[in-house]
Amino acid sequence: MTVNSSLAQGTTTSGASSAPVLKLIWIIWVILLAAGLYGVVQRLTHGHLPAGYGSYVPWGLWIGLYFLGVGISGGAFLIGAVGYILGLPGFSRGSDLRTAIVLSIAALIPAFIGVGLDLGRTGRLLSILLSPSFTSMMAFNAWMYNVFLVIAAVSWILSFRNGSVWLKPLLVLGSFMSVLFPSQSGVFFEAVRTNDFWNSPILSVLFLASAVALGGAALLLVRTLIGPGSASQQALSDNDQALGTLRTVTVTGILIYLVFEFAEFSIAFWNPGEHSPNVSFLLFGNYWDVFWLLHLTAGAAIPIVLLLASSRTGWAVAALLVTAGFGAARMSVLVPGQIAGQIPGLQQAFQDPRLVYSYHPTSMEYLVGCFMLAVGMAIFYVGLRLSTTFGSGSQERA
Amino acid sequence: MSDKKSPLDRREFLLAGGLVGAGVAVAVGAVVKDRLPSAPVDPTGEATVRKLKVLQKVKPQDNEDPLVRMQRELVRAMAKPVEKRHWIMVIDIRKCVGCNACTIACIAENKLPPGIVCRPVTTQELGQYPNIQIRFMPRPCMHCDNPSCVPVCPVKATWKRPDGVVVVDYDKCIGCRYCLNACPYGARTSDFGRYYASDVAGGSGTGADRPVYGPESPWEHLPNNEYAKNWDRKDNGSPVGNARKCHFCLHRLEVGQLPACVTTCIGRATYFGDSNDPDSLVVQLVTKHNVQTLFPHWGNKPQCFYVV
Repeated sequence: MTVNSSLAQGTTTSGASSAPVLKLIWIIWVILLAAGLYGVVQRLTHGHLPAGYGSYVPWGLWIGLYFLGVGISGGAFLIGAVGYILGLPGFSRGSDLRTAIVLSIAALIPAFIGVGLDLGRTGRLLSILLSPSFTSMMAFNAWMYNVFLVIAAVSWILSFRNGSVWLKPLLVLGSFMSVLFPSQSGVFFEAVRTNDFWNSPILSVLFLASAVALGGAALLLVRTLIGPGSASQQALSDNDQALGTLRTVTVTGILIYLVFEFAEFSIAFWNPGEHSPNVSFLLFGNYWDVFWLLHLTAGAAIPIVLLLASSRTGWAVAALLVTAGFGAARMSVLVPGQIAGQIPGLQQAFQDPRLVYSYHPTSMEYLVGCFMLAVGMAIFYVGLRLSTTFGSGSQERA
Repeated sequence: MSDKKSPLDRREFLLAGGLVGAGVAVAVGAVVKDRLPSAPVDPTGEATVRKLKVLQKVKPQDNEDPLVRMQRELVRAMAKPVEKRHWIMVIDIRKCVGCNACTIACIAENKLPPGIVCRPVTTQELGQYPNIQIRFMPRPCMHCDNPSCVPVCPVKATWKRPDGVVVVDYDKCIGCRYCLNACPYGARTSDFGRYYASDVAGGSGTGADRPVYGPESPWEHLPNNEYAKNWDRKDNGSPVGNARKCHFCLHRLEVGQLPACVTTCIGRATYFGDSNDPDSLVVQLVTKHNVQTLFPHWGNKPQCFYVV
């Protein structure tokens, strides 16, 4: 795949909808939406009965996807905003900033859908905002996300105005929050002080590093697909530099994640403690394929090789793999942390399919995941179209 | 943007600093406010005093059944305002025979649906033949004095009452299951809206969860009396979707009855009472040297004690 200018036009104007890649994306989107809607209908009609989680492993795939979306959102905004503020080539135009903001919002809203459907009483979702308890990281995060959404939306609007004195300060605040809320995703688990596997401050670093890598990868994918948005030599050159920056950021984020992950696990093996059973389960137990194949091989090693190569098609593939790989990484934090009960024999004490220390996502959970992805793609597409529509009348920044 | 200029001019810099500073101040203020001790949401004082007439005509006797003694102490405790009582449970695992009567009594008393269990009894095999032992350990909610499940609740739907009982407000709980993960004892379970009645009898049930599919029977909608309210779970109403847990049968205490698990213990291995009453049986038991709590290293200060 090369940078496809016609596709870029295709996604932003109505003239090139016949572009093959765009057609493929449309087909994928329709399939995702149809399958996803079936899953959502299942969830709404059967409640949580078709889901695989239970009382001993209470969180499953949707929570993993929720934290994946949060990571993409924070990372995309952070990179886009910092690049814009610093005037980095390929990031300094209003349209570049808007792409990052739209991507950030498009990743965050499906995350809300996932966590909303995961709730036992979805109808009470707004209680988190209306009567929050800020002793809970969940309530704190919920408020952070919503305040961030407002900041992102206002920044998007201000980006159409030349010389707005509020845009950069808002971007600084948004960047600050983009660092905070992915880190707080780690704190969400760390705050469970009675769980040795989660109660480690390194999770914040892991989640932040992965957010940067995810944001870089998502922006890289988008930029590879939609191109520079202009055929001018300057735009092409800036886009090439931006792609280089994003590759560097993505690879750096992955490497930092791996280093800290190794540091965390090495403690468990050099000095085995309470959480070594969780680590053993992840590395050598039933979850070995998620960790070694999906997270490490497909999500880290192969993308790094592809990103260091010069093929733009390879970069797009790498970006997709990084996203999927960090999805597996999220599950590698989520599931092992719930898999080892602390009271011996508890599972056998009262036997029930919902009272087991194992978890496998069911078809309904995967289908709802498809729905989340379809919604994210739709929001991104509509946001990009709106950016183009409103942006065509405003003068772009130099 | 010009490459020669600073990324932010002075005005933008000040605005950015102000926004970030204000944001941090608001966030810190919100967290600190919720961390500060606040007045209990439960009623306290004279309104909570119960003049119960249970056992009025039964005189205390030497060697009376511990249940009678605990019942008498319960009446005495209920005569005090709620904040003057502190309920604890003591389980003598040397006496527990693993009959699971307490488990079943809890299910029957609270009409618990499939997958909800507030008092399972674990079985552990210790040692090697011929020096082998089986140990049964009932595991109710520990009603910790420093519960890890309470602060993680994002909507203040769970808290510790003035009498020490950790409760859940089914009308507030959003079912996020954060508390389930925060409890190291696995003492909270989620009500996934399941029912015992099923179409298994029709021969259609297969797979792990299939037996609970199908229309529920009318008897499964008879209301229980948890927290002294009627919960019938009709139309997937609460507590379907909520976190559920042992509440020391608060609705029974209000009328002078001991928790169901205590009264059904055939080995008299479960004791319940007011730890603020120095003459109570539970105080006599917990002040002995052979009493332990489960996982004290977490700092939860569990209020369920095991005699070993």
